[in-house]
Amino acid sequence: MTHTKMTTAAGASRREVVRGIGAAGLGLAAGAATARRARAQARGPVSLSFWTFENPQQRPWIHKRIRLFTERNPNVRVDFQYFPFGDLGQKLSVGFATGTAPDGFVSQDWFMPTWLSRNLLAPLDVRKLGYASGEAFAADFPPAFVEGATHNGQVYGYPLWFYGFCNYLNTRHFAEVGLDAERDWPKSWEELGEVARRLTVKEGDRFVRQGFKFAMHAAQWTMIQFNPIFHQCGGRWFDAQGRCTINSEAGVRAMTIRASIARQYGAEDPADTIATNPLPQMDWLRERCSMFFCHPIPPAAITSQNPRMEQERYYRPVQYPGVERGKGYSTTYGFNLVVNARAPREKQEVLHELYRFMMSDPADAWADAAPFPLARKSGWVDNPSVQRFPHVAEIIRARDEGVPLPRTTVYNELADQVHRGVQRILLNRADIKATLDGIAAAVDRATEAARRG
Amino acid sequence: MSTAHSARLPDAAAPDRGERAAGARLRRGGLRFGRRLQLVGAAFVLPALLFFLAFKFGPMLWAMELSLSAYDMVSAPRFVGLENYAKLAEDPVFRASLINTFVYIAGSTALITLAGLALALAINTAVPGARHCMTAMFLTNLMPIIAVTLVWRFLLHPFGLVNQLLQPFGVGRVDWLTDENLAMPAIIAVTAWRFAPYFMVVFLAGLLAIPKDYYEAAEIDGAGVVRRFVHVTLPLLMPTLFFVVVVSALLASRIFLMPYIMTGGGPGDATRVLSMLIYETGFSYLKMGEAAAISVVLFAIMLVFTVLQMQIFMRSERAHLR
Repeated sequence: MTHTKMTTAAGASRREVVRGIGAAGLGLAAGAATARRARAQARGPVSLSFWTFENPQQRPWIHKRIRLFTERNPNVRVDFQYFPFGDLGQKLSVGFATGTAPDGFVSQDWFMPTWLSRNLLAPLDVRKLGYASGEAFAADFPPAFVEGATHNGQVYGYPLWFYGFCNYLNTRHFAEVGLDAERDWPKSWEELGEVARRLTVKEGDRFVRQGFKFAMHAAQWTMIQFNPIFHQCGGRWFDAQGRCTINSEAGVRAMTIRASIARQYGAEDPADTIATNPLPQMDWLRERCSMFFCHPIPPAAITSQNPRMEQERYYRPVQYPGVERGKGYSTTYGFNLVVNARAPREKQEVLHELYRFMMSDPADAWADAAPFPLARKSGWVDNPSVQRFPHVAEIIRARDEGVPLPRTTVYNELADQVHRGVQRILLNRADIKATLDGIAAAVDRATEAARRG
Repeated sequence: MSTAHSARLPDAAAPDRGERAAGARLRRGGLRFGRRLQLVGAAFVLPALLFFLAFKFGPMLWAMELSLSAYDMVSAPRFVGLENYAKLAEDPVFRASLINTFVYIAGSTALITLAGLALALAINTAVPGARHCMTAMFLTNLMPIIAVTLVWRFLLHPFGLVNQLLQPFGVGRVDWLTDENLAMPAIIAVTAWRFAPYFMVVFLAGLLAIPKDYYEAAEIDGAGVVRRFVHVTLPLLMPTLFFVVVVSALLASRIFLMPYIMTGGGPGDATRVLSMLIYETGFSYLKMGEAAAISVVLFAIMLVFTVLQMQIFMRSERAHLR
């Protein structure tokens, strides 16, 4: 085989031409970047405020990207603040009320209707975020994420991280009771109950090990875990008139499934769960329960609580059980980068640049915050470090197939009512239908009040 | 002019001249001494008064105004009249919270008063070692409430220390904080544990103020311990008792942290009190108008106790003067 050196009419080789095009491209890119930077620097000093929530993996990455941005744009200063996950929404509300809300922030996607109904968010220009068009932007995310970030055809949120819940199994516990986690993982709710019963270890009335447990500590977790069961049973949170339909047949069926692990299979102890650790996955990490529905769990979190479990990797995530066997899916939820509508125009411009910069290296986001999957499809899934991550396909599938949380302006009222209802049913054996009727009535009152303004 | 006028006065009036001269000296800028004293006093009080107006009475009045408005903290408040109060009347969560608040006030006040009095009596009647225990008991008041509440949450866990201690007596598992019938009594008990030692000191001060002569006279008359307590201690301790009842009731009406941390208001709404509902309604549901209406109701409850307390104080003061 001979190597023929191709030359052009001008005498330059093909390699030289390619090299030349590459150099020109680099030059253009560098020029554009320099121009952008020059634009940013041409303005006077810009001082931004930015808020997010605390997460041991995600918050440091956001902080790092902001720091890098300000290093490249010395005229931009960012006052970066973060708050506990559950407090961010309230801090923002108070901030908007007192005129101290940040210029940009990370919004949980279930709060988007709250901000949008009050015109508190500025529309985003997707071209300034690096997308050629609105279509290109929409094509880069699963539809559920774009729906949550869009209002009247206008984009208001740049989806950052989005993820579903998986059923995290302790494979060693499975082996102990003669089950193969790879084959026997529960694919239906009945199987979940049966497997959980087999995995449960009790001493008298005391659970040494719960086969499975639902989280009981916070309304948000109650919603995330219950939402897909309700959807799988054919339920929808609101009817066409906006009335809450949790007390429908589907709702009763879903809540019966939710209660069955404790009531029917005796495989969990809700009173123990609610009274113990506020970190919901702690019992699973410490092997006091064998299965737990959770968002992607970073290896560092497992190592910090149970180094052996991480070293020997006797755990794995699988998909949610389904009402139809093998067709389970979970809730998918996430976070959007948004801009305060009251921020001055110049700050809004800089925030677009900041968000574009933050999201310009998705592989870096994965490296720092794995296994929390980014919302966008492009630029990271094919990365070898992503592909190497154990069971990453399950995590991405849970993200893509999950159903979003109800998008309503009375989300907090709904979540609190469902949470209290679950407590009554699980802890005090309240009647399911009567409890759901009470929840629906309370949510309808809240909806009516919200309509009246 | 006044000098000319006084020159025409008869001699009998001469001593008045000195007084008038002194009065003139005391007048400066046309103000009497008493008036000047009042103004100086007012000047001293003014900063505190302004502070209270700005940060206490101002917000209170604003809250009352807000209770008649729809306000989501973002849009401008809109006057809705008594609509927020009408909504509260229909709201089962508000009714449950109101009842819980009354149950909590009654339960914790009763327990604090009884326990505080019992501890004070024990110390005052020289039970061996009681005085040494007093300091230790008072420590419950010095600990940060969040730490205390979290510790109690673990103690009252289904497999916590309290149940472990009850086990030898044949008591099975008790879900103190997750049973809707037990959660409120458990919180009341923890409240009493924290505050009873504080009121013990108040009771002790009241007991020490009772003259020993009365007890000696009663003892000579043949009164036993119980009779001495009923006929001497209790009547003379009545002002202190009223004070403790009213102040502990006022304290209880504002409770927030204990139920918030121990049960989050649950299970269901079993331990949700008005202050928690105000917080949730205002900051979680962004209904500041409704939250303000609830706070006005809570204010009315507290006002009743405050007026009661003032009446008792004034009556006690009058009795003391007599």
